Amino acid sequence: MSIPSELAEVESKPAGPAQVREHPPPRSRRKLVAIAGGPNCGKSTLFNKLTGLRQKVANYPGVTVEKKGGLCALRSGRAVELLDLPGTYSLRPGSPDEVVVRDVLLGVQADTPLPDLTLLVLDATCLDRQLYLCMQLMEMGRPVIVALNMMDTARDEGLDIDAGLLSRALGAPVIPISARTGSGIAQLRDAMDREIPPPRPVTRRLPEPLREGVERIEKTLPPAGPLAALSRFHVAMALLLDEGEDDSLIRAVPIPARREVMIVRTRLDAEIPDWRSHEPIGHYHAIEELIRKATLRVKPEVSLRERIDRVLTHRVLGPLIFVLLMAVVFQSVFMWATPIMNAIDAGVSALGRFIAPALPAGPIRSLVVDGAIAGVGAVVTFVPQIAILFLFISLMEDSGYLARGAFIMDRLMRGVGLSGRAFIPLLSSFACAIPGIMATRTIDNRRDRLTTILIAPFMSCSARLPVYALLIGAFIPNRTVGFLSLPGLVLFSLYVLGILAAVLVAWALKRTALRGSRPLYVMELPPYRVPSWRSVLITVRDRAGLFVQKAGTVILAVSIVLWFLASYPKNSEVRPLEKRLEAVEDGAARAAAHGSVAEASAKRAEATQLENEIAGVSLRDSFAGQAGRLIEPAIAPLGFDWKIGIALLSSFAAREVMVSTMATVYNLGDADQTSVSLREKLRHAENPRGGRAYSPLMAVSLMVFFVLACQCMSTVAVVRRETNSWRWPIFMVVMMNALAWIASFAVYQGGKLMGLG
Amino acid sequence: MTPPRARADRRTRKLGELEAGSRAIVRRVSGEPGLRRRLMELGFVPGTPIKLVRRAPMGDPIELRLRGTHFSIRTSEADRIDVDPF
Repeated sequence: MSIPSELAEVESKPAGPAQVREHPPPRSRRKLVAIAGGPNCGKSTLFNKLTGLRQKVANYPGVTVEKKGGLCALRSGRAVELLDLPGTYSLRPGSPDEVVVRDVLLGVQADTPLPDLTLLVLDATCLDRQLYLCMQLMEMGRPVIVALNMMDTARDEGLDIDAGLLSRALGAPVIPISARTGSGIAQLRDAMDREIPPPRPVTRRLPEPLREGVERIEKTLPPAGPLAALSRFHVAMALLLDEGEDDSLIRAVPIPARREVMIVRTRLDAEIPDWRSHEPIGHYHAIEELIRKATLRVKPEVSLRERIDRVLTHRVLGPLIFVLLMAVVFQSVFMWATPIMNAIDAGVSALGRFIAPALPAGPIRSLVVDGAIAGVGAVVTFVPQIAILFLFISLMEDSGYLARGAFIMDRLMRGVGLSGRAFIPLLSSFACAIPGIMATRTIDNRRDRLTTILIAPFMSCSARLPVYALLIGAFIPNRTVGFLSLPGLVLFSLYVLGILAAVLVAWALKRTALRGSRPLYVMELPPYRVPSWRSVLITVRDRAGLFVQKAGTVILAVSIVLWFLASYPKNSEVRPLEKRLEAVEDGAARAAAHGSVAEASAKRAEATQLENEIAGVSLRDSFAGQAGRLIEPAIAPLGFDWKIGIALLSSFAAREVMVSTMATVYNLGDADQTSVSLREKLRHAENPRGGRAYSPLMAVSLMVFFVLACQCMSTVAVVRRETNSWRWPIFMVVMMNALAWIASFAVYQGGKLMGLG
Repeated sequence: MTPPRARADRRTRKLGELEAGSRAIVRRVSGEPGLRRRLMELGFVPGTPIKLVRRAPMGDPIELRLRGTHFSIRTSEADRIDVDPF
């Protein structure tokens, strides 16, 4: 062999078929097939096609990365287990998603066995960069099938690929498919049914010190254990090149190997400072050659996308179209969902009324109707908003527009330290933080995503509006300031306050808790595609289903706890009132029977008043009422009394509950925010010293509190689900409520100092 | 175009300084090792032809065409990449 002085041939030594056969999958276990591929390669569409509706979504332990699995039936009657991995550019991870992909494919992911086969999906219309992952996979020494997706589109665009040549060059089956139309899927299933041998060892030329270093690491690798079924060369390269992001791979090898990796790195840094570039440069040289050989026809450069992009990312038209589209999305989440949500509310109430008579009056009936059914209602009302938002998001994502929107908004969002992708989740949060927080899933950077999740609840959501409406209606005089009305101005200021708080918190988080190395904001601008309805609908169903399953259970449990706190202990004063109520109701029935309409309606009015009084007494003396009194010293400096304390506590079920709680506390039954009597009651409510209990200053302080405080159990539950830990929701509750307290304190005490109280 | 001007155009510059619609060849990627490797893995290896397709409405980020794919990249990041215009 004639070897240039600085270059030497390196043969990777994969485990080889003999070694793989040492650990055959147990008969009882199905073959595990991992689906890998770059972002936008059509991986998820293929996964949906192969599994149909039999899918399961979970989280990988300890991270926010989703684990999507499903079964795929084969012609032989057997089935394989499919695992849809997150989109990835490289096996040398740069994000938590890519860490999971690497760990799964290398068999060091805790809850997932080493896949028996990797199904690599490549978008035939832009093979070049996607072959990078392919090159890395081939080196790994595990069986691979390549699905050459969108072959139909590629041919339509004038591009043709020689799949046979590609297959021979890669040493793996290459199957042209179209995940959208389903062509080639049968061949793909059959290929998965066969025993696929691992690809033949790849030859790579490495400069001498690097070759020697890799060999030294290979020698320290144990002959058995988690990584033994992989090519030693690949494992050594992975250990050498994986720096920073995480340590799950390095922890999978024994101490001597770890030490060797450190020694080799230090030596290489001294001898060839550029050694890290060797892998990308080498792979891309190989890719260029492969593409040259396998491409039969090249596609013309100016295509449909260019014509569309000239409009959609135009200097003036681009932002205009984006704003219009966002207006439609926002209006839809806000308005379209409302009738459905009202219908659900009505349905839930009807269900309660329907079931109530079947249960004995008393605690059981109350638990079922006011606790459980109301709790289920609280969960279900979010579903329309989530479904509508995700309908739009998946349409935009699958068509390729989402990336253009992020491209347009990036400069603006950078002011807050975020990227263009954060815009839609934050905008949606003005309707409701629940779908907004769920939409942060389109943000690929972990720190940006967490920051967006944590500031989303500051956007004034629709549940705050009834609270604002009640307090503004009761305490803000309807005057005009210049050409603006004062109530309108106050409402606008509340929205601005929320945005300012979000900006401030994002800025602070980026400098403290979520500080870190500057990520690379490189984003692919995929070609435009007609979205597949099937995929879009599956996404919508998954999102809504996951919310109900994962966040819904927490919301239901908290609803029942809140019901208990507001209903117990039963008060002794209630008994005589209930006796009186029965008497009055009897009287009303008698009067009605005697035909004296006036007397009957008077009695009925008295009965309603008594009912309201019973509800008021029960709530005031319940655990919730006691808690309201307990926290009074803490909220008194903000201008709030214990009755508002009860309302603050019960609004944890949902912010708008504050209004009905105040109505109950003031014996008004279930008056709403437009009720004149409730506004009057609040205006004229007295404190124990005989003075006015509430002032306009208190109202402002209370509204500021509602803008900033995290009083929504559903938000907490959904943050728990989206971050896969209790750490961030707890941090959020503490941070937001501390901020709310401080701001309200400043408003109330500052106002009093200025003589406004 | 006059020859001196053409010469000036051929000088190595930062990717972020290219005009919309112009083409260049990647010459060098600089910066911290992790980010540098990442950019190279994405296809920014020396010798690769590249086109700055357009700038976003607010001037930043920029859209690039590289190896058959389009990317959005911030100018601050693009400036780690030295290119030779042609």
